[in-house]
Amino acid sequence: MKSNLTIALAGNPNCGKTTIFNNLTGARQKVGNWPGVTVEKKEGHLRHGDYVLRIVDLPGTYSLTPFSIEEITARDYIVNEMPDIVVNIIDASNLERSLFLAIQVLELGRPTLFVLNMADMAEARGIKIDEKKLSSLLGLPVVFTVGNKNKGIDVLTEAVIEEVKAFDHGKKSRNIRYSNEIEGCISKIEAVLTDAGIEDEGALIRWKAIKILEDDKIIKGKIQGLPLGKEANVLADAASCRSRVFDLFQDDFEIVLTDDRYGVIAGIVKETVTNLAVKRIDMSRNIDLVLTDRYFGLPVFVFFIWAMFQLTFSLGAYPMGWIESFVGFLSGQLDIMMAPSLFKSLLLDGIIAGIGSVVVFLPNILILFFCIALFEDTGYMARAAFLMDRVMHTSGLHGKSFIPMLMGFGCSVPAIMATRTLENKKDRILTILMTPFMSCSAKLPVYIVLAGSFFAQRAGTIIFCLYMTGILVAILSGRLLRALFFKGEDAPFVMELPPYRMPMLKSLVIHMWDRGKMFLKKMSGVILVGSIIIWVLSSFPTNISFSVDYDTQLVDLETRYSDPIYSADSDAARLEIEQAFDADFKEIENRKEQERISKSYIGIIGHALEPLFKPIGIGWQASVALVTGFVAKEVVISTMGVLYGVGRDNGQALEKALKKSGMTSLSALSMMVFVLLYVPCFATVTAIYREASAKWAWFNVLYTTMVAWGMSFLVYQAGMFLR
Amino acid sequence: MINTHEQEKRQFKRLFQQQGVDRFDKRFQVLDAFLKLEHHVTQKDISLQLKNDGIYLDDEFVVSSMEHLCRFGFANRVEFDQRGEILYEHRHLGVHHDHMICTKCGSILEFRDEALETLQRRVAEAYGFHMLQHKMEIYGLCSQCMAHRNRLVPLHKAKPGEKLIVKELEAGKKMQLRISSMGLKIGDLIEIVSNGLGGQVVIAVGENRLVIGTGMAQKIWVRSIAKMQEQGIDSPLELKENLDSSPMKLSQMKAGQEGIIARVSGESVLRRRLLEMGINRGTKIYVEKYAPLKDPLELVVKGYHISLRVGEAANIVVEHVISKKR
Repeated sequence: MKSNLTIALAGNPNCGKTTIFNNLTGARQKVGNWPGVTVEKKEGHLRHGDYVLRIVDLPGTYSLTPFSIEEITARDYIVNEMPDIVVNIIDASNLERSLFLAIQVLELGRPTLFVLNMADMAEARGIKIDEKKLSSLLGLPVVFTVGNKNKGIDVLTEAVIEEVKAFDHGKKSRNIRYSNEIEGCISKIEAVLTDAGIEDEGALIRWKAIKILEDDKIIKGKIQGLPLGKEANVLADAASCRSRVFDLFQDDFEIVLTDDRYGVIAGIVKETVTNLAVKRIDMSRNIDLVLTDRYFGLPVFVFFIWAMFQLTFSLGAYPMGWIESFVGFLSGQLDIMMAPSLFKSLLLDGIIAGIGSVVVFLPNILILFFCIALFEDTGYMARAAFLMDRVMHTSGLHGKSFIPMLMGFGCSVPAIMATRTLENKKDRILTILMTPFMSCSAKLPVYIVLAGSFFAQRAGTIIFCLYMTGILVAILSGRLLRALFFKGEDAPFVMELPPYRMPMLKSLVIHMWDRGKMFLKKMSGVILVGSIIIWVLSSFPTNISFSVDYDTQLVDLETRYSDPIYSADSDAARLEIEQAFDADFKEIENRKEQERISKSYIGIIGHALEPLFKPIGIGWQASVALVTGFVAKEVVISTMGVLYGVGRDNGQALEKALKKSGMTSLSALSMMVFVLLYVPCFATVTAIYREASAKWAWFNVLYTTMVAWGMSFLVYQAGMFLR
Repeated sequence: MINTHEQEKRQFKRLFQQQGVDRFDKRFQVLDAFLKLEHHVTQKDISLQLKNDGIYLDDEFVVSSMEHLCRFGFANRVEFDQRGEILYEHRHLGVHHDHMICTKCGSILEFRDEALETLQRRVAEAYGFHMLQHKMEIYGLCSQCMAHRNRLVPLHKAKPGEKLIVKELEAGKKMQLRISSMGLKIGDLIEIVSNGLGGQVVIAVGENRLVIGTGMAQKIWVRSIAKMQEQGIDSPLELKENLDSSPMKLSQMKAGQEGIIARVSGESVLRRRLLEMGINRGTKIYVEKYAPLKDPLELVVKGYHISLRVGEAANIVVEHVISKKR
């Protein structure tokens, strides 16, 4: 017998699978995605005696029908990768439903072991399970565990090894027998399959027969490799069986089989479970009396969300400040240490600034995911979806989309990562595409400057309207995209409301850290490349022929001032002259920077885009600023500061400069609408690329730009017309 | 009894010390725990008792101590066929008793009958057999199980047209699986369509007809609803209401109502998803509440909570709807 064993963990969502996984693997785990799909894959190692156990956490599902990616992923793993044993984790307090998946897993023919988890909960609910009887009925070992108290894990490991040994010595898994009609069909198809030359690998041939009868497209596709006549035979026989079953039961084979499975399960449950039926106080129900109450439910939910928002963005602001000042300190030190060179500029303005701008989100991400893990582990997440589904459903979304959308008001990057809580891929993509329309906190400074300059008294109202516009556009986009791309694929909202549970700090921390690690690993590479590109665009070409020789001007300035400074008769007078010198010096430098940026590639792009921005009332300086806003929305204001010649950090002066430049309140409004809706920052696009796909990232870039331009156009032209 | 126990303990001390058995104190604790328990106990029960007394001893040690106790005649080992595990009982010298074991609920009755004891001795003598010891075990149904059984009839004895409830399946593993895979389970409401022809019973379960062979029918124990109502037992109030109310959509049910699922329709993806989550025909479903905004509703099915949108719930037809306070 080999000493490296692969163990797959299967089970329903909320059955305590992750807890057992964490208990088994401790900190030795890695999180990634299953190849090709954005379903989380967890793996860990465990050393036990002479054995090294590789533990793979399969996605949590209720069934193995090929309807969702999770189910296909779990099924394919068991069928193709042939783990040495499948450990099926069963919520002991919910045996009947759990067995539905469990017997399907058993049908896959791999060695299987049942774990009755949360045995203490079951006991508390007065449910007693005769594990020996269950074990003898199904012909496999059954182990009790209490995941959150780390009980029974050693027994589990022992039993795993024993069972693998037993299979090494020729043990076969036992088949579940269905009703005569169904069995007849199965054996018929089995016979044709064997006849067609399919090798019997374990019990797989029976499974394949069942799947073909269930009209499973994927398995049907797999038998296409057979000689032509044989394939037709199999399909014809399956079709005739299906139609006979339909005649008999007035229902499709798969529905009849599902009923049958529940029949078998009901039998097993009757045999093995004694319900002591003493009505205990149902804690969960009592909690729900408040948390999903008709009157209290929503206010309490709003409070929780508010608290999460506060924690993430207010508490997160402190470590963000530390990281920012650390990055500032680092680049300051390097600035002093290194001689001016192109490399230095790349390192400081490109790499460090770029990475710094991403790492700065880490505290937000960690806190947000701690909160989300808390919601999920306690069971509140399902309640949140329950409460908000009516609202979200108007835009064709799932109730759970509410949390990512809301986090979008803080920052789109963690918000997009939060969409992982959505099980359905379509919902996830739709939510990802809608989230950037939620006005993120980085856009607020832009509104403050523009609305403050042009709308003075009504600034608050204008900003509020902008936020509302964002939400409205998101909802409309949701409906539009749903109608265009996800037609008729509204996933059923069949969601379990699991009992409330005490969360475990260990699993919260592991979850939080996983996300943090994933964020750093995945984002940093792309961000690094992106920052370098943007740095190149904004600092090249270096040999700009300036219209005026600023350097000579600066030298002139110095010589002009040096005499008066020397000959000043009092300190006060000297100070005055020095200040005048500084002001003039800065002005020249600003003008130089202004011209440099306008002549750099990014400036050239801005100029090139000018015709496009004209119809929406935005001048070239603002165009360049918007282009640089792709790096981060905060940059928009600082670029405008540079381009309007007031320096980077001078809000008051910028207001004056803006007004002088001939920008009207209408074009300011148009620009704000554009900033609200246009391409999200680079980090967000990367997040979309990582969580959805490159295609959707590109789509998002194009779509948001189009929507932004269209809306601004409407605002500007309507305003011009009304004037 | 306490005095006998004290006496036993004293003898134990003397005997064990004489024999020089190791770890005397701990073994004494095992005895103490064992004597505290009455009737027939397993090693686990003893360990549990020890634990309750705040004493932790490993299982093997307890077993070996119990062996010693048996050897010195403080305990008796009894093994009843059905349980397949070793049970210990107190052995008070000079006191003998026999056992009756209920095969249904597993309860054990101790009894002693002088006439039987004499009869046994006489039978042995008649065969020229010298009896040293004997063990008498009577298997059957205890009075409680029997009282329960009396109200039931096997299915093949039911009359056509009778409405019945399935109460017990007295079948082996295989047969049980087969019966349940036919969609018949304990608590199901059935009606006899015909009975007698060729020994087969035709019954109706919901909208389904099932043909059951005599062999199987003998093992299905049922109870007549009419009789239940006459006798007013098992509070058939719920049932009466059941038989009257007409089917309705799940989405029309109010919070706090319970019913039995009659049909699940809708497009196949939704339908299958519902079935997978355990919302299938014949299952009891309870409407816990509607969300504050009236849309998803919370249900209790098979002992867990699930939420559905009202639109989806409209695909589920429920019958026998009753209001129920939980």
